Amino acid sequence: MGLRSYIVTRVLLTIPMIMLLLSIVFLIIRVIPGDPVLLHFERKASEEAMDAMRQRLGLDQPLPVQYFEYLGGLFRGDLGRSMQDFSPVSDQIYSAFPATLELAICSMLVAVAVGILLGVRASQSYNSPQDQSIRAFAIVVYAIPIFFLGMILQMIFAINLHWFPANGRFPPYLGEPRGLILHLSRPAGGFVETLAWSSIVGLVCWAFCIIALRRRHVIFWVKGFLISILAFMVGWIAWATLAWYFVNLGTLRISTGLFTVDSLIEASPLKFVESIRYLLLPSLTLGLVLSGVFIRLTRSNMLETLRLDFVTAAKARGLKVTAVTYGYALRNAFLPILTMMGLQFATLLGGAILTETTFSWPGLGRYLVDRINFRDYTAIQGAVVYFALIVAAVNLVVDIMYAYLDPRIRF
Amino acid sequence: MTIIVAAIVLVVILIVASLYALQIGPFAPPAKVELIMGTTDSVESAIDPAQAYDFFGWEILQNTGSGLVEIEPGSSAAAEDYNPALATEWITSGDLKTWTFTLREGVLFDDGTEFNASHVKYSFDRNMGIASPDGPQLNMEYDAIIDNVEVVSKYVVKFNLKIPFGPFLGLMACQASYIVNPEYAGGWQTEWSVDDIVEYVAGDARASNAMDLGPYVLANWTRVAGKDHEMRLEANPNYWNSAAGLPKTKKIIIKFYADATALRLAIEAGDIDIAFRHITASDIEDLQDNPDLKVWEGVGAAIQYMIFQEDPLTGLPQLNDSRIRRALTACLDRQEVVDTVFLSQYSPLYSMIPTGMLGRPAGTDGPFKVLGDANYTYARSLLADLGYDETNKLPIELWYETSGHYPSSPDQAQLYKSQFEASGVVSVTLKSADWPSYRLNRNEGVMHVFLYGWYPDYIDPDNYAFLYYAPWLNHKYTQYNATNNYVAMKAAYDAARASNNETERIELYDELEGYAVEDCPVVPIWQGVAYAVTKPNIKGVYLDITQTWRIWLLYG
Repeated sequence: MGLRSYIVTRVLLTIPMIMLLLSIVFLIIRVIPGDPVLLHFERKASEEAMDAMRQRLGLDQPLPVQYFEYLGGLFRGDLGRSMQDFSPVSDQIYSAFPATLELAICSMLVAVAVGILLGVRASQSYNSPQDQSIRAFAIVVYAIPIFFLGMILQMIFAINLHWFPANGRFPPYLGEPRGLILHLSRPAGGFVETLAWSSIVGLVCWAFCIIALRRRHVIFWVKGFLISILAFMVGWIAWATLAWYFVNLGTLRISTGLFTVDSLIEASPLKFVESIRYLLLPSLTLGLVLSGVFIRLTRSNMLETLRLDFVTAAKARGLKVTAVTYGYALRNAFLPILTMMGLQFATLLGGAILTETTFSWPGLGRYLVDRINFRDYTAIQGAVVYFALIVAAVNLVVDIMYAYLDPRIRF
Repeated sequence: MTIIVAAIVLVVILIVASLYALQIGPFAPPAKVELIMGTTDSVESAIDPAQAYDFFGWEILQNTGSGLVEIEPGSSAAAEDYNPALATEWITSGDLKTWTFTLREGVLFDDGTEFNASHVKYSFDRNMGIASPDGPQLNMEYDAIIDNVEVVSKYVVKFNLKIPFGPFLGLMACQASYIVNPEYAGGWQTEWSVDDIVEYVAGDARASNAMDLGPYVLANWTRVAGKDHEMRLEANPNYWNSAAGLPKTKKIIIKFYADATALRLAIEAGDIDIAFRHITASDIEDLQDNPDLKVWEGVGAAIQYMIFQEDPLTGLPQLNDSRIRRALTACLDRQEVVDTVFLSQYSPLYSMIPTGMLGRPAGTDGPFKVLGDANYTYARSLLADLGYDETNKLPIELWYETSGHYPSSPDQAQLYKSQFEASGVVSVTLKSADWPSYRLNRNEGVMHVFLYGWYPDYIDPDNYAFLYYAPWLNHKYTQYNATNNYVAMKAAYDAARASNNETERIELYDELEGYAVEDCPVVPIWQGVAYAVTKPNIKGVYLDITQTWRIWLLYG
């Protein structure tokens, strides 16, 4: 099976898997004992009030109707409404996702960088004091409770040294990075002015057209010229028309929700440095704890690979040790590490509960804890669906990367 | 080559670090004009007086809205401590059933409309009409007190009551009686439903807030993942008392923290200027020794009490005999609880009406003192009459909540268990539940003995004394009490609320609590203390009996 067919098959297989999971989650939430509506009220509410609440949450419908409405909602990206404040669960998850993603990416960078560098180093100095120290370090960081390490770092770097903030995601006085905000309005000169500045797009289309014509060996004069002019006109007028009708949208916000990226888009060095300062302690905490696994995994796989003949052959040919280690051996030893990276990253995207709580990081981990404490069934259901999608997507990406990294793998 | 690249990177990092440290060029911070306050509280439902019934929701109502009257900061909320706010003067009829308020003229809503008597009627009609099951009006029984609100003239409004009600000014000063802006509260209409409650709207603080007329406007309210993340309050240019220089700080940022530890770290690290609520007892003890911080201590009005379920529960002795309840009450050692669990920061409570309130001045003991603390001889003698002794112990189930809704509940429960069992004739099984389940259990009446807390709606004994027989506690006291003390208790309560003679009211509350000591349906245990931690330069902190956090008086 070729790579393309494999990807298509994997995507198709993911769909029934997710559907099955969605159905199980839906049923479990509804068959567990206790009426969620009862939990909603502070004091014993009247039957009318409870009925009104059931109706508001759609719980008054028969189960099959609820199920199909739930599935229909999912296809529209609607995960239902929170039982606490009735705001859309998808909005709640979306608002916490960038914080979790940013922390996950930075923690993975720390974990993989520390894990691979120390793992490779340990494998190169097998059984030496250096190897023993690195192994001991791996065990210690893996065993240390995240909240404990986090608090130690907070005490040293925030409370005593005041180098980094104790918790949070951004300094409140500065205003969170909002990315690039474009105030789009129609030019004062009207459509003619719009047409004038959109000629640049026309020229770009003309250039592309000429390149395409040349590659197809079309004789430029007459036919080619007419085609390229046509491309210029189409690009020019189409862009001007689109701009004229859609440029007056008001404010266009280009934002990722990742504060490091948004502060760069906003061209604010101060905000960029501040977002790094806030990100550093939580990512270091989480990254160091995760690095324990990567150190052990890299070391054991590299030890096996470094003993293989092709490594000896490469060294015998006079290649540099660094090139052999990182260019050949590590690539061969990388598949199990990649699997672990995928699994860990998927878990992190579900929210690092302890790290987020320790550092008051407004991500999905805290969200889940809050919702569980509140017994917000719709939100919990939405979060589980989201997590299932993330795990399926990350696994798919890992499988595809497998095939890319190891050309022998054909499924 | 590698060395050159590394050197360039190092130089860039050094330049950026230097610029950042010197706060120059692109790293110059904006002019700091705000105070930053941190809290572990959050708005539990909405910023709408028809729905908000939580501490922080009320704080925001208080700071962004105004009522007809307000209480003098730092006072004990006595009759003479009520100051004019949106009303400049008021009179009551001799029978306390009619209260007439003359309103302040020239007060503007933020849409430019002038405030008048119709807005007062609108606010009360709306909030009582919405009648949210979780809202304050239903739970504080506004409909049992207020018959109707009458517009007498443009600036005169009259409240016609169903019952004579002495503490009416207290009710008017509470946040559930604040005036809403019809523009943002659903418009002028007469038919109301829970759908008219102003809910949180992402990205639109104005649409998320029914309030107006207060010292601040809610400039920004961000929730991340359904949880409060940040709020910004900015001075209201139309505030009726702005001539007095209020609010003292024009911009306030409120940051929300997940727990007390995070809040403590933030104030210690200097990330915030003010930490108000909650910081644990042990953290307060540590922070009091920190020279870079100031710990403010004030009067607390939060109380904790124990409730005995009098309905029969399967496999457990029914607690409908007052001798059992008195015996269990006598086993409690309140001083040990406040010393051990709360490091002597809280006070033992011997009356359901806390110290500092009418008739309960500091330094006086409440009526439950007569039963003693750790009075095991008395407890054993009462239980012996019912056949309980060392070989046949009274089995009870003691419930506590585990979500941190009340401070140190597990520690408290463990100590109560040891105190009961120290009598030698009681055996205790501890049971726990998270807050939603605990609340549900209370509503279902399935907890044998359980802990609960109370925070005042308005500052008057009237808002505490009814707790002995509060129907929502669902402890079936009114159903099973054998002595008919409930009837006398209720009569004393009604008579006290129908009087504005302080001496008479004090006597009536003493009488009521005398019955309560005989029956012990609900037993007071401790009274909390309010703490705030600030940077040393912060001033204007008032932690008085009202429990109102007056942000508009803070400055630094």
